[in-house]
Amino acid sequence: MVFVISKTKYITSMGELKRKDNSIVFRNEKGNTYIPIEGIREIVCLNEIKINTKFLDYISRFGVVLHFFNYYGQYSGTFYPKENLISGKIKVKQVQAYLDENKRLNICKSIVNGIAINIHETLYHYYKHGNKDIKDILDWLRKEVPILLEKEINIKRILFIEGLVWQRFYSIFNKILKEEFVFNKRVKRPPDNPLNALISFGNSVIYSKTITQIYGTHLDQSISYLHEPSEGRFSLSLDISEVFKPVIVFKTIFDCVNNRKIQVDKHFNKKLNYCLLNDEGRNIFITELEKRLNSVFVHKGLNRKTTYLNAIKLDGYKLIKYLVEDKKFVPFSLKEMY
Amino acid sequence: MISIKITGTIINYYIHCKRQCWLFGNRINLEDNSEDVRIGKILHEIKSQESKSSEISIDNIKIDKITGEYLVELKKSDADLNSTKWQVLLYLKKLKEKGIIRKGKIEVIEKKKQDKKIHYVELTQEYEEELDKLLLDIEKFLSSEKPPIAERSSKCKKCAYYEYCNI
Ligand code: SF4
Repeated sequence: MVFVISKTKYITSMGELKRKDNSIVFRNEKGNTYIPIEGIREIVCLNEIKINTKFLDYISRFGVVLHFFNYYGQYSGTFYPKENLISGKIKVKQVQAYLDENKRLNICKSIVNGIAINIHETLYHYYKHGNKDIKDILDWLRKEVPILLEKEINIKRILFIEGLVWQRFYSIFNKILKEEFVFNKRVKRPPDNPLNALISFGNSVIYSKTITQIYGTHLDQSISYLHEPSEGRFSLSLDISEVFKPVIVFKTIFDCVNNRKIQVDKHFNKKLNYCLLNDEGRNIFITELEKRLNSVFVHKGLNRKTTYLNAIKLDGYKLIKYLVEDKKFVPFSLKEMY
Repeated sequence: MISIKITGTIINYYIHCKRQCWLFGNRINLEDNSEDVRIGKILHEIKSQESKSSEISIDNIKIDKITGEYLVELKKSDADLNSTKWQVLLYLKKLKEKGIIRKGKIEVIEKKKQDKKIHYVELTQEYEEELDKLLLDIEKFLSSEKPPIAERSSKCKKCAYYEYCNI
């Protein structure tokens, strides 16, 4: 069985990316590292990198996507190769669905419900292992959220419910996380404690992964439903990545924290009040995220093995199917494995 | 006259699977998922940079090989020979419109087998009329609002739309 495995090259040290004959070379003071072009799908630059247009032209021809992160581990942008898969039909349908209130609401409700389901599944693990404190939120996620979403509500209300779901999720972190990581509120920019640093970085990675996966479909990344298209160039990836955050980012964080793979005094930058992962911490976290993204499960719809990474692209397909063929959009569910 | 540029692939898919034809014809041509295909494509791209490819391209159709007497289409297996036949007939017609008269030859080079099977096809008056009708049908079919629903069969297993159809 062949399936797409993550072909991501993370560049963590300072240096220069160049084209050399038919390969990519990363050059820093330690010397040259060759990166065969057929072996990669995306490059993530986590440090200061020099590039030139010859290099960009080269990777563009092979559809390799280049992501940039800033010093704080926050996403700063993407070099998006000129699109090779363009479908006027899908673009028109995407816009139509945005303008058609009913369609837009259906997509948004499905996404928020998907977030709730996946958070529920993620937390249920802790309940099963004896943590009875979280029963309230589990019940709320499973029973109340779908009812709230079934009502005739507008987009503002849906966004409010989404906010509530995340808020309640964060509010029980102190019940499931090791003490040194307990946090009181979620602060985004810049993160103000170790846990927020992990969440921000993890969310940025999953977002950039989604951009690359959506690149493999015909969807126009700028037309989105839950997030306003005006929020950014790739707002559709914000929409699609949402349900994968509990599955990939938070599961990885819980595992790293509770199994002491990541520790506050060892893996964060002390000078910055532990609000930033240090190099070692970042490498551990990326490795664990990648492992999870590339782990394999049997997909209910396909009846085949696939990876979580590919499931992101499949959600792109589901959206296309809703737009083109009116098949209800149900994002990836950790419960159904569909 | 045919207004949409119907390619050999479209005609082939129309006979092979209507849904595949509609999706492809409406440019919902999803990326093939297997890494083998991706790597193959990249290697092909690298090679064709180095030496000009032997493929011949006329209008929007790509022809494998053309000789004094024949237009040659190479196939890896003789499954679905019928759709290949119509694909070749379309090429013959396009060539004829340009004043190039050829006969069609389909060479099946099956893996692990030494001998290749050869099938011939000629653009007769009857075929030409049938082809015109087929092209009109396809044009009408492609402009329908939605694709026909998936009819699951063994041919789906290897199809690039497998994930899309089953999701
Ligand atoms: S997967 Fe099957 S039904 Fe779908 S396009 Fe391919 S052959 Fe047709």
